[in-house]
Amino acid sequence: MTLSIKTKHNVLSALILLALAAGAIVYLSLQFTRMWTPDPVYEGKNPSVKEVRRLSDYNENLKGSKGDTNIYVIEGDEPGDSMLILGGVHANEPAGMLAAVYLVENLHPKAGTVYVIPYTNEAGFTCNDPLEASPMFFSIDTPTGPRQFRFGARVTNPVCQWPDPDIYVHASSGQRLAGSETRNLNRTYPGRTNGTFTEQISYGLVQLIKAEDIAVTIDLHEASPEYQTINTTVAESRAMKVATTGRFNMDWDGITMSVEQSPTTFHGLSHIELGTWTDTLALLMETSNPSQGREHGLTGSDLVIYGKDKFYARVKAAVGLKDSDYSEEYGRPIQQRVARHITAINAYAAAYTEEFANAAAAEDKLTAFTSMGLGASSYPDSDGHIIYEGRRGVIDLGELPSYDTLCTDLFDYLAIPEGQN
Amino acid sequence: MVVTIIYLAIIVFLLFFIIWNMFTEKDIMLQIDAALVIIPLVLRLLLIK
Ligand SMILES: [Zn+2]
Repeated sequence: MTLSIKTKHNVLSALILLALAAGAIVYLSLQFTRMWTPDPVYEGKNPSVKEVRRLSDYNENLKGSKGDTNIYVIEGDEPGDSMLILGGVHANEPAGMLAAVYLVENLHPKAGTVYVIPYTNEAGFTCNDPLEASPMFFSIDTPTGPRQFRFGARVTNPVCQWPDPDIYVHASSGQRLAGSETRNLNRTYPGRTNGTFTEQISYGLVQLIKAEDIAVTIDLHEASPEYQTINTTVAESRAMKVATTGRFNMDWDGITMSVEQSPTTFHGLSHIELGTWTDTLALLMETSNPSQGREHGLTGSDLVIYGKDKFYARVKAAVGLKDSDYSEEYGRPIQQRVARHITAINAYAAAYTEEFANAAAAEDKLTAFTSMGLGASSYPDSDGHIIYEGRRGVIDLGELPSYDTLCTDLFDYLAIPEGQN
Repeated sequence: MVVTIIYLAIIVFLLFFIIWNMFTEKDIMLQIDAALVIIPLVLRLLLIK
């Protein structure tokens, strides 16, 4: 049976309904387009930020598009090598973005240059994933007032790249994946200059790494508590030594981190492709984030910030969980997830220096190599490390708060400057 | 892109008939159905969602 209400004044009712629909369209448009405005990042707080570039400086096709994004250049007091931090490759994994924002506003490197991109897939921050009931924003309490951030989608906004193919074929390998992965920035490396919108973003990042001779690239992610690579660093083969040395140093501080080598048969991922197509040492890290899994309850901003979920606690009690010390009482607060990322970034910078500082002294070896007619811009040292001409083997991020301090006081470091709140 | 223009043209085509139908339909419930369908189609036409 269908409900039916006949009317003789159908034109009048149609006009009223049209007006209501127009009102709804205006209201929803204003809501959805709020996500098109980038979150403010207060780089002015940090005198070490010497320059703000754009990704379109490295791939001009992105100019004026939703894919263009800020690159913050943070310079150390002394010369050293360059590091690239990628936050927000997946815009629904906020700890990576927030860790990057923290670095832009607070990092004072001692040696080397750190390039930080908090919103690497800016176009992913302009919408939500469908059918997830995710919040569009979440807000943290800083000493100078609440500060709002966008909570975006895993993939590029379909408004920017459409339609999806049935099967996504990765350009340089021919690997076949589900069609929607064509908009997943962490499946499109190394990208193509004339490729899809998302491939163009990957391509811009590859050009940045090549142009600035980025020695270490760290891609920040989060995953659900049942996912096998949470609390793990995935490293391309050349970066394995840095990853394992950094991991052991973190062990001393009581932070558990597993290390895995990049798969050689799975293409499009940042670590494997950047490691293959550029001279960077490529790493990717994941923290545990209950708002991403399939088992959690209501997907609100509280879940994104505090990570307290009774259903995950039940899953752990019933069948166990990869995130083995998960509890509903403590949850997985975003401060802790960001603290993990920052502590690990610092540990890997230190590990890089530990592994490669001797390389600076190997300048003689380079001369020997070139005089042998090898003309190499890179060469192995006695420990088997690949040394690149012109690199100093030093990245020193300077003084950073301890992991425990960040776990409790992170939001203090993200305060909005007076007059801008 | 050509495919986007075709896609938008299809939306305009559908919207025209849905609104036409809304004004000629005597059943208020079906008019409400039409009004609801208009909302996502216009958001898509404007490339907002
Ligand atoms: Zn991710």
